[in-house]
Amino acid sequence: MITVTIDGKNQPTTYPKIKTVLQLLNNLHLRVNDALIIRDGELLTPDRHLWPGDHVTVRMVVSRG
Amino acid sequence: MKCKRCGELAAVKLPSHHAGFCPSCFEGFFKKQVETAVRRHGMIGRDEKVLVAVSGGKDSLALMRVLTDLGHVVEGLHVHLGIPDSSDPVAERTRAFCAANGLTLHVLHTAEHGLAVPDVKDAVRRPVCAVCGKIKRHYFNRFAYENGFAALATGHNLDDETARLFANVLRWDPAYLGTQGPTLPGEGKFVRKIKPLYRLTEFETAAYCFLKGIDHWKAACPYSGGASFTGHKKLIADLEDRSPGQKTAFYEAFLAQGRPHFAGASRGEGQDTLYACAQCGFPSSGEVCGVCRVREQVAAHKARREAV
Ligand code: SF4
Ligand SMILES: [Zn+2]
Ligand SMILES: [Zn+2]
Repeated sequence: MITVTIDGKNQPTTYPKIKTVLQLLNNLHLRVNDALIIRDGELLTPDRHLWPGDHVTVRMVVSRG
Repeated sequence: MKCKRCGELAAVKLPSHHAGFCPSCFEGFFKKQVETAVRRHGMIGRDEKVLVAVSGGKDSLALMRVLTDLGHVVEGLHVHLGIPDSSDPVAERTRAFCAANGLTLHVLHTAEHGLAVPDVKDAVRRPVCAVCGKIKRHYFNRFAYENGFAALATGHNLDDETARLFANVLRWDPAYLGTQGPTLPGEGKFVRKIKPLYRLTEFETAAYCFLKGIDHWKAACPYSGGASFTGHKKLIADLEDRSPGQKTAFYEAFLAQGRPHFAGASRGEGQDTLYACAQCGFPSSGEVCGVCRVREQVAAHKARREAV
């Protein structure tokens, strides 16, 4: 189970089956360069593995006006 | 994925460059892109001082950081718009960021010039953002001109530029197409306008900010109707996703092949000749410039309200 916080939203979501960053992006309908994927203060490329217990932050890059 | 330069673990994947980079090589890549933009488009000459228009968003802070790191003499100007609950915290956090990073920041209050944006909103019938944009552009240019800066730099990135280009192409707007680009030469009391981040995407700028600890998000302005060109940006992002590199190709080909055809295009009847504004002396297509006219409207509106 991994926990995902999307920047600006309060409630984290949990995903039981996701194993890579790419799977997470696909699940959120995001393209590779739509968001920064952050784990423990580190940026992750789409091929990186996610492990049970990971907490990931998704930061959308499009500026908000 | 491994870093294309050093073989370490990559932190950033850039399909448009067929590359992945580790944090330190990514910073090198980012600086190189800015350096290339500055050199190819004659943005900054030797010993020239640059004023960065600092909105308080991350792009303008990234721009100050990278230009400083590249050895340019840079100062920032933040225009405080006098909007309750929004302008003060934005100005305060921007000031704190610059102080902590050894960057020089000036803050100009439009209220001190009779142009607090809430008053402007009450006094004019046009959408406030159009007028607010005009006011900001006026003071950024004026501050740069009056304080000896050779150029005014803004944080526009490749996504901003391609979306704007796309909008201008949809309308085939010759005057806009003739002047759109990373550098707009200075003329008279207009200082040179430059966009040193134009080769970098929103993603690349966000990654740079994250890696450099520029963790600064602008609180949305209460008057904002949302970011501009959001729809165009989405279309272009889909295109880029299918064929990486399209965005850069579209923009660079425009600069090389398209723009020359629109050079010198007229803005329309009576719009091309500029006069010195009778009140502030800055360029204007009429006797009094748009900003001075708004200032008069604000004063008149206040006087009317006080008379009631
Ligand atoms: S959103 Fe706010 S700051 Fe931006 S142009 Fe409109 S009024 Fe000005
Ligand atoms: Zn590297
Ligand atoms: Zn004027």
